[in-house]
Amino acid sequence: MTTAIQAAGGGGGGGRPSGGGLADVIDTILDKGLVIDAFVRVSLVGIEVLTIDVRVVVASVDTYLRFAEAANRLDLAKTGGVGLPDLVGGMQQSGAKKKTKGAAQGVLDAAGEKLRDFIGDPDDDEEEPAPRRKRRRVEES
Amino acid sequence: MAAPEWASEEEHNAACYVYGIVPGDVESTPDARGLGDRPVTVVRHGEIAALVSEIHPDDAIGTPQDLKAHDELLNATVIEAPVLPLRFGAVMTTPEAVAEELLAPHHDQFLAALEELEGRAEYIVKGRYVERAVLTELLAENDEAARLREEIGDTTEDATRDVRMRLGEIIQQGLAAKRDADTDRFMQALSPHSVATAVREPTHEQDAVHVALLVETARRSDFEDALDGLARGWEERIDLRLRGPLAPYDFVVKPN
Repeated sequence: MTTAIQAAGGGGGGGRPSGGGLADVIDTILDKGLVIDAFVRVSLVGIEVLTIDVRVVVASVDTYLRFAEAANRLDLAKTGGVGLPDLVGGMQQSGAKKKTKGAAQGVLDAAGEKLRDFIGDPDDDEEEPAPRRKRRRVEES
Repeated sequence: MAAPEWASEEEHNAACYVYGIVPGDVESTPDARGLGDRPVTVVRHGEIAALVSEIHPDDAIGTPQDLKAHDELLNATVIEAPVLPLRFGAVMTTPEAVAEELLAPHHDQFLAALEELEGRAEYIVKGRYVERAVLTELLAENDEAARLREEIGDTTEDATRDVRMRLGEIIQQGLAAKRDADTDRFMQALSPHSVATAVREPTHEQDAVHVALLVETARRSDFEDALDGLARGWEERIDLRLRGPLAPYDFVVKPN
Protein backbone atom coordinates (compact mmCIF):
# COMPACT_ATOMS: atom_id res chain seq x y z
CA MET A 1 0.00 0.00 0.00
CA THR A 2 1.33 3.36 -0.84
CA THR A 3 0.65 6.49 1.07
CA ALA A 4 1.60 8.80 -1.71
CA ILE A 5 1.25 9.13 -5.46
CA GLN A 6 -2.41 8.73 -5.42
CA ALA A 7 -4.89 11.43 -5.88
CA ALA A 8 -6.75 12.17 -2.73
CA GLY A 9 -9.91 12.36 -4.75
CA GLY A 10 -12.98 14.43 -4.40
CA GLY A 11 -12.12 17.07 -1.95
CA GLY A 12 -14.92 17.92 0.36
CA GLY A 13 -16.79 20.42 -1.71
CA GLY A 14 -14.80 23.33 -2.95
CA GLY A 15 -14.99 26.27 -0.70
CA ARG A 16 -13.26 29.47 -0.06
CA PRO A 17 -12.96 31.70 2.90
CA SER A 18 -14.58 35.04 3.06
CA GLY A 19 -11.53 37.04 3.87
CA GLY A 20 -7.87 37.48 3.35
CA GLY A 21 -5.58 35.91 0.81
CA LEU A 22 -5.94 32.60 2.50
CA ALA A 23 -8.36 31.02 0.07
CA ASP A 24 -5.82 28.77 -1.53
CA VAL A 25 -4.17 27.81 1.71
CA ILE A 26 -7.45 26.88 3.30
CA ASP A 27 -8.54 24.85 0.31
CA THR A 28 -5.40 22.88 0.76
CA ILE A 29 -4.47 22.41 4.37
CA LEU A 30 -7.96 21.99 5.79
CA ASP A 31 -9.11 19.69 3.07
CA LYS A 32 -6.06 17.72 1.94
CA GLY A 33 -3.12 16.02 3.55
CA LEU A 34 -2.79 13.01 5.80
CA VAL A 35 -5.38 12.79 8.52
CA ILE A 36 -3.80 11.77 11.76
CA ASP A 37 -6.92 10.03 13.03
CA ALA A 38 -6.28 7.39 10.45
CA PHE A 39 -3.00 6.55 12.10
CA VAL A 40 -3.34 7.21 15.79
CA ARG A 41 -6.11 7.40 18.28
CA VAL A 42 -4.73 6.93 21.76
CA SER A 43 -2.61 10.03 22.07
CA LEU A 44 -4.64 12.27 19.88
CA VAL A 45 -5.50 15.60 21.42
CA GLY A 46 -8.82 16.99 20.38
CA ILE A 47 -8.03 20.60 19.87
CA GLU A 48 -10.54 23.17 18.82
CA VAL A 49 -10.08 24.27 15.27
CA LEU A 50 -11.84 27.55 14.74
CA THR A 51 -14.60 27.30 12.22
CA ILE A 52 -14.01 28.95 8.95
CA ASP A 53 -16.64 30.38 6.73
CA VAL A 54 -16.50 28.21 3.66
CA ARG A 55 -18.76 29.01 0.80
CA VAL A 56 -19.62 26.14 -1.43
CA VAL A 57 -20.11 26.80 -5.09
CA VAL A 58 -23.70 26.10 -5.94
CA ALA A 59 -25.94 27.37 -8.62
CA SER A 60 -28.24 29.82 -6.95
CA VAL A 61 -30.83 32.35 -7.87
CA ASP A 62 -28.34 35.06 -7.05
CA THR A 63 -25.77 33.49 -9.34
CA TYR A 64 -28.24 33.33 -12.19
CA LEU A 65 -29.32 36.91 -11.75
CA ARG A 66 -25.75 38.08 -11.50
CA PHE A 67 -24.77 36.26 -14.69
CA ALA A 68 -27.77 37.67 -16.51
CA GLU A 69 -26.93 41.17 -15.39
CA ALA A 70 -23.30 40.76 -16.39
CA ALA A 71 -24.36 39.52 -19.82
CA ASN A 72 -26.80 42.37 -20.14
CA ARG A 73 -24.14 44.92 -19.25
CA LEU A 74 -21.82 43.55 -21.89
CA ASP A 75 -21.43 46.11 -24.57
CA LEU A 76 -20.70 43.81 -27.44
CA ALA A 77 -20.04 46.65 -29.84
CA LYS A 78 -17.55 48.33 -27.59
CA THR A 79 -14.50 46.28 -28.35
CA GLY A 80 -12.26 48.91 -29.77
CA GLY A 81 -13.93 48.82 -33.15
CA VAL A 82 -13.69 45.08 -33.38
CA GLY A 83 -16.97 43.27 -33.92
CA LEU A 84 -18.04 40.20 -32.08
CA PRO A 85 -16.80 37.63 -34.61
CA ASP A 86 -13.44 39.33 -34.80
CA LEU A 87 -13.13 39.40 -31.08
CA VAL A 88 -13.88 35.74 -30.70
CA GLY A 89 -11.67 34.73 -33.58
CA GLY A 90 -8.86 37.00 -32.58
CA MET A 91 -8.48 35.45 -29.21
CA GLN A 92 -6.68 32.42 -30.47
CA GLN A 93 -4.87 34.15 -33.27
CA SER A 94 -2.98 37.26 -34.05
CA GLY A 95 -4.97 39.44 -31.73
CA ALA A 96 -3.30 37.85 -28.75
CA LYS A 97 0.17 37.71 -30.17
CA LYS A 98 1.49 40.99 -28.95
CA LYS A 99 0.52 40.55 -25.39
CA THR A 100 1.28 36.88 -25.19
CA LYS A 101 4.63 37.58 -23.61
CA GLY A 102 2.95 39.23 -20.71
CA ALA A 103 0.67 36.44 -19.67
CA ALA A 104 3.14 33.75 -20.45
CA GLN A 105 5.83 35.52 -18.56
CA GLY A 106 3.52 35.96 -15.64
CA VAL A 107 3.11 32.25 -15.31
CA LEU A 108 6.81 31.66 -15.52
CA ASP A 109 7.58 34.31 -12.98
CA ALA A 110 5.25 32.63 -10.60
CA ALA A 111 7.01 29.38 -11.07
CA GLY A 112 10.40 30.92 -10.76
CA GLU A 113 11.14 33.79 -8.48
CA LYS A 114 7.92 34.14 -6.60
CA LEU A 115 7.44 30.59 -5.55
CA ARG A 116 4.40 30.03 -3.45
CA ASP A 117 3.31 33.61 -3.81
CA PHE A 118 -0.01 34.23 -5.37
CA ILE A 119 0.19 36.18 -8.52
CA GLY A 120 -2.30 38.86 -9.17
CA ASP A 121 -5.80 37.83 -9.96
CA PRO A 122 -7.79 40.91 -10.81
CA ASP A 123 -11.12 39.16 -10.44
CA ASP A 124 -10.30 37.72 -7.10
CA ASP A 125 -11.62 40.17 -4.59
CA GLU A 126 -10.60 38.01 -1.69
CA GLU A 127 -6.98 38.15 -2.67
CA GLU A 128 -4.49 40.15 -0.68
CA PRO A 129 -0.88 40.83 -1.58
CA ALA A 130 1.28 37.78 -1.62
CA PRO A 131 2.50 36.83 1.79
CA ARG A 132 6.15 37.56 2.19
CA ARG A 133 7.52 34.30 3.21
CA LYS A 134 10.35 34.38 5.61
CA ARG A 135 12.52 31.56 4.54
CA ARG A 136 12.45 28.83 7.10
CA ARG A 137 14.54 26.08 5.89
CA VAL A 138 14.37 22.60 7.08
CA GLU A 139 17.56 21.23 5.78
CA GLU A 140 18.85 17.82 5.20
CA SER A 141 21.81 17.22 7.38
CA MET B 1 14.35 7.89 18.62
CA ALA B 2 15.46 11.20 19.99
CA ALA B 3 13.00 13.49 21.66
CA PRO B 4 13.79 17.14 21.25
CA GLU B 5 14.35 19.35 24.24
CA TRP B 6 10.75 19.89 25.15
CA ALA B 7 8.53 21.44 27.73
CA SER B 8 10.24 23.98 29.86
CA GLU B 9 8.96 23.92 33.44
CA GLU B 10 6.24 26.45 32.92
CA GLU B 11 5.00 24.56 29.89
CA HIS B 12 5.00 20.93 30.94
CA ASN B 13 1.37 20.83 30.02
CA ALA B 14 2.19 21.36 26.38
CA ALA B 15 0.99 19.03 23.68
CA CYS B 16 2.58 18.38 20.35
CA TYR B 17 1.39 19.87 17.07
CA VAL B 18 2.46 17.73 14.12
CA TYR B 19 3.08 19.28 10.70
CA GLY B 20 4.30 16.44 8.60
CA ILE B 21 6.55 13.46 8.17
CA VAL B 22 10.00 13.70 6.64
CA PRO B 23 13.07 11.52 6.14
CA GLY B 24 15.08 10.98 9.32
CA ASP B 25 18.04 13.02 8.14
CA VAL B 26 16.05 16.24 8.07
CA GLU B 27 16.95 18.82 10.67
CA SER B 28 15.09 21.90 11.68
CA THR B 29 17.00 25.14 11.48
CA PRO B 30 16.92 27.35 14.58
CA ASP B 31 14.79 29.94 12.83
CA ALA B 32 12.08 27.50 11.77
CA ARG B 33 8.84 28.68 13.37
CA GLY B 34 5.44 27.10 13.56
CA LEU B 35 2.06 27.89 15.08
CA GLY B 36 2.23 30.64 17.67
CA ASP B 37 5.72 31.45 16.43
CA ARG B 38 7.04 28.49 18.37
CA PRO B 39 10.23 26.75 17.32
CA VAL B 40 9.83 23.69 15.15
CA THR B 41 11.64 20.59 16.28
CA VAL B 42 12.12 17.11 14.91
CA VAL B 43 10.99 13.83 16.46
CA ARG B 44 12.86 10.91 14.92
CA HIS B 45 12.19 7.24 14.72
CA GLY B 46 14.28 4.93 12.56
CA GLU B 47 14.67 6.46 9.15
CA ILE B 48 11.76 8.88 9.40
CA ALA B 49 10.88 11.89 11.50
CA ALA B 50 8.03 14.25 12.28
CA LEU B 51 8.13 18.03 12.32
CA VAL B 52 6.47 19.24 15.51
CA SER B 53 6.09 22.21 17.80
CA GLU B 54 4.61 22.78 21.23
CA ILE B 55 1.03 23.78 21.58
CA HIS B 56 -1.22 24.29 24.59
CA PRO B 57 -4.08 21.84 24.48
CA ASP B 58 -6.51 24.52 25.59
CA ASP B 59 -5.67 26.87 22.76
CA ALA B 60 -8.00 27.09 19.82
CA ILE B 61 -6.21 27.20 16.51
CA GLY B 62 -7.19 28.24 13.04
CA THR B 63 -6.30 31.91 12.78
CA PRO B 64 -4.90 33.07 9.45
CA GLN B 65 -1.47 33.15 11.07
CA ASP B 66 -1.87 29.54 12.21
CA LEU B 67 -2.89 28.37 8.76
CA LYS B 68 -0.05 30.21 7.10
CA ALA B 69 2.46 28.91 9.61
CA HIS B 70 1.46 25.33 8.85
CA ASP B 71 1.45 25.87 5.11
CA GLU B 72 4.68 27.83 4.92
CA LEU B 73 6.66 25.44 7.04
CA LEU B 74 5.71 22.47 4.89
CA ASN B 75 6.19 24.32 1.64
CA ALA B 76 9.63 25.43 2.77
CA THR B 77 10.40 21.85 3.70
CA VAL B 78 9.49 20.39 0.32
CA ILE B 79 12.22 22.47 -1.30
CA GLU B 80 14.77 20.60 0.78
CA ALA B 81 13.30 17.19 1.30
CA PRO B 82 10.22 15.09 0.61
CA VAL B 83 7.43 15.54 3.12
CA LEU B 84 4.12 13.91 3.88
CA PRO B 85 1.94 16.84 4.92
CA LEU B 86 -0.63 16.30 7.64
CA ARG B 87 -3.93 18.03 7.43
CA PHE B 88 -4.09 21.14 9.59
CA GLY B 89 -4.91 20.51 13.22
CA ALA B 90 -3.10 17.29 14.13
CA VAL B 91 -2.14 17.34 17.80
CA MET B 92 -0.74 14.53 19.93
CA THR B 93 0.01 14.42 23.62
CA THR B 94 3.81 14.22 23.64
CA PRO B 95 6.83 13.81 21.36
CA GLU B 96 7.13 10.27 22.68
CA ALA B 97 3.62 9.55 21.51
CA VAL B 98 4.46 10.91 18.08
CA ALA B 99 7.42 8.56 17.85
CA GLU B 100 5.72 5.52 19.31
CA GLU B 101 2.23 5.82 17.92
CA LEU B 102 2.61 7.70 14.69
CA LEU B 103 6.08 6.99 13.38
CA ALA B 104 6.92 3.52 14.67
CA PRO B 105 3.79 1.61 13.57
CA HIS B 106 3.81 3.13 10.09
CA HIS B 107 7.56 3.44 9.62
CA ASP B 108 7.96 1.37 6.47
CA GLN B 109 4.88 2.72 4.82
CA PHE B 110 5.83 6.34 5.44
CA LEU B 111 9.40 5.67 4.38
CA ALA B 112 8.25 4.11 1.10
CA ALA B 113 5.98 7.06 0.43
CA LEU B 114 8.79 9.52 1.15
CA GLU B 115 11.10 7.66 -1.20
CA GLU B 116 8.45 7.84 -3.88
CA LEU B 117 8.12 11.59 -3.37
CA GLU B 118 11.84 12.26 -3.53
CA GLY B 119 12.56 14.95 -6.10
CA ARG B 120 8.88 15.72 -6.64
CA ALA B 121 6.67 18.56 -5.55
CA GLU B 122 3.09 19.64 -5.94
CA TYR B 123 1.94 22.54 -8.05
CA ILE B 124 -1.56 23.93 -8.17
CA VAL B 125 -2.88 25.65 -11.23
CA LYS B 126 -6.01 27.70 -10.99
CA GLY B 127 -7.62 29.32 -13.99
CA ARG B 128 -10.36 31.88 -13.81
CA TYR B 129 -12.46 32.88 -16.80
CA VAL B 130 -12.26 36.48 -17.83
CA GLU B 131 -15.91 37.34 -17.47
CA ARG B 132 -16.20 39.59 -20.47
CA ALA B 133 -14.50 37.14 -22.79
CA VAL B 134 -16.35 34.07 -21.64
CA LEU B 135 -19.76 35.75 -21.67
CA THR B 136 -19.09 37.00 -25.17
CA GLU B 137 -18.26 33.45 -26.22
CA LEU B 138 -21.36 32.05 -24.61
CA LEU B 139 -23.64 34.58 -26.22
CA ALA B 140 -22.07 33.92 -29.60
CA GLU B 141 -22.50 30.17 -29.22
CA ASN B 142 -26.01 30.10 -27.88
CA ASP B 143 -28.82 31.67 -29.85
CA GLU B 144 -31.29 31.43 -27.02
CA ALA B 145 -28.92 33.25 -24.68
CA ALA B 146 -28.37 36.02 -27.20
CA ARG B 147 -32.11 36.36 -27.72
CA LEU B 148 -32.82 36.47 -23.97
CA ARG B 149 -30.20 39.12 -23.56
CA GLU B 150 -31.90 41.23 -26.19
CA GLU B 151 -35.17 40.70 -24.43
CA ILE B 152 -33.82 42.02 -21.14
CA GLY B 153 -32.55 45.20 -22.72
CA ASP B 154 -33.22 48.14 -20.45
CA THR B 155 -35.86 46.47 -18.34
CA THR B 156 -35.63 46.26 -14.59
CA GLU B 157 -34.77 43.08 -12.75
CA ASP B 158 -38.32 42.72 -11.52
CA ALA B 159 -39.83 43.15 -14.96
CA THR B 160 -37.78 40.41 -16.58
CA ARG B 161 -36.95 38.20 -13.68
CA ASP B 162 -37.91 34.96 -15.42
CA VAL B 163 -35.99 35.86 -18.54
CA ARG B 164 -32.99 36.71 -16.40
CA MET B 165 -33.22 33.47 -14.49
CA ARG B 166 -33.28 31.50 -17.72
CA LEU B 167 -30.34 33.43 -19.15
CA GLY B 168 -28.39 33.00 -15.94
CA GLU B 169 -29.08 29.29 -15.96
CA ILE B 170 -27.88 28.95 -19.54
CA ILE B 171 -24.74 30.85 -18.68
CA GLN B 172 -24.11 28.78 -15.57
CA GLN B 173 -24.51 25.55 -17.55
CA GLY B 174 -22.40 26.91 -20.36
CA LEU B 175 -19.62 27.76 -17.92
CA ALA B 176 -19.73 24.29 -16.43
CA ALA B 177 -19.44 22.75 -19.91
CA LYS B 178 -16.55 25.04 -20.76
CA ARG B 179 -14.87 24.20 -17.48
CA ASP B 180 -15.04 20.50 -18.30
CA ALA B 181 -13.73 21.03 -21.81
CA ASP B 182 -10.95 23.35 -20.74
CA THR B 183 -9.96 21.09 -17.87
CA ASP B 184 -9.71 18.21 -20.35
CA ARG B 185 -7.53 20.29 -22.58
CA PHE B 186 -5.40 21.31 -19.62
CA MET B 187 -4.93 17.70 -18.58
CA GLN B 188 -3.94 16.66 -22.08
CA ALA B 189 -1.32 19.38 -22.19
CA LEU B 190 0.09 18.96 -18.69
CA SER B 191 -0.36 15.28 -17.81
CA PRO B 192 2.67 14.25 -19.89
CA HIS B 193 4.77 16.55 -17.72
CA SER B 194 3.41 15.35 -14.40
CA VAL B 195 3.83 12.25 -12.30
CA ALA B 196 0.24 12.44 -11.13
CA THR B 197 -2.66 14.85 -11.32
CA ALA B 198 -5.76 15.52 -9.25
CA VAL B 199 -8.61 17.66 -10.47
CA ARG B 200 -9.90 19.84 -7.66
CA GLU B 201 -13.40 21.10 -7.15
CA PRO B 202 -13.99 24.61 -8.45
CA THR B 203 -13.98 27.20 -5.69
CA HIS B 204 -15.58 29.94 -7.70
CA GLU B 205 -18.34 29.95 -10.28
CA GLN B 206 -15.97 31.36 -12.87
CA ASP B 207 -13.20 28.85 -12.28
CA ALA B 208 -11.97 27.38 -15.54
CA VAL B 209 -9.45 24.88 -14.21
CA HIS B 210 -8.35 23.88 -10.73
CA VAL B 211 -5.82 21.09 -10.81
CA ALA B 212 -3.07 19.82 -8.53
CA LEU B 213 -0.06 18.27 -10.24
CA LEU B 214 2.84 16.28 -8.87
CA VAL B 215 5.89 17.31 -10.85
CA GLU B 216 9.39 15.89 -11.09
CA THR B 217 11.60 18.77 -9.96
CA ALA B 218 14.14 17.90 -12.62
CA ARG B 219 11.43 18.26 -15.28
CA ARG B 220 10.02 21.48 -14.00
CA SER B 221 11.07 23.55 -16.98
CA ASP B 222 9.22 21.18 -19.34
CA PHE B 223 6.17 21.56 -17.15
CA GLU B 224 6.51 25.33 -17.17
CA ASP B 225 6.94 25.39 -20.93
CA ALA B 226 3.75 23.39 -21.40
CA LEU B 227 1.89 25.66 -19.02
CA ASP B 228 3.31 28.67 -20.78
CA GLY B 229 2.01 27.40 -24.11
CA LEU B 230 -1.42 26.92 -22.64
CA ALA B 231 -1.42 30.37 -21.07
CA ARG B 232 -0.52 31.82 -24.44
CA GLY B 233 -3.50 30.18 -26.12
CA TRP B 234 -5.82 31.23 -23.33
CA GLU B 235 -4.66 34.77 -22.96
CA GLU B 236 -7.45 37.25 -22.26
CA ARG B 237 -9.84 34.35 -21.90
CA ILE B 238 -8.54 32.52 -18.83
CA ASP B 239 -6.22 33.94 -16.19
CA LEU B 240 -3.94 31.18 -15.01
CA ARG B 241 -2.24 31.22 -11.65
CA LEU B 242 0.40 28.82 -10.48
CA ARG B 243 1.29 27.98 -6.90
CA GLY B 244 4.23 25.83 -6.05
CA PRO B 245 6.33 24.02 -5.24
CA LEU B 246 4.07 22.91 -2.43
CA ALA B 247 4.02 19.96 -0.08
CA PRO B 248 2.14 17.17 -1.86
CA TYR B 249 -1.16 17.62 -0.04
CA ASP B 250 -3.24 16.26 -2.88
CA PHE B 251 -1.17 13.13 -3.33
CA VAL B 252 -1.09 11.60 0.10
CA VAL B 253 -3.94 9.42 1.21
CA LYS B 254 -4.67 7.53 4.36
CA PRO B 255 -4.28 3.76 4.47
CA ASN B 256 -6.87 1.48 2.89
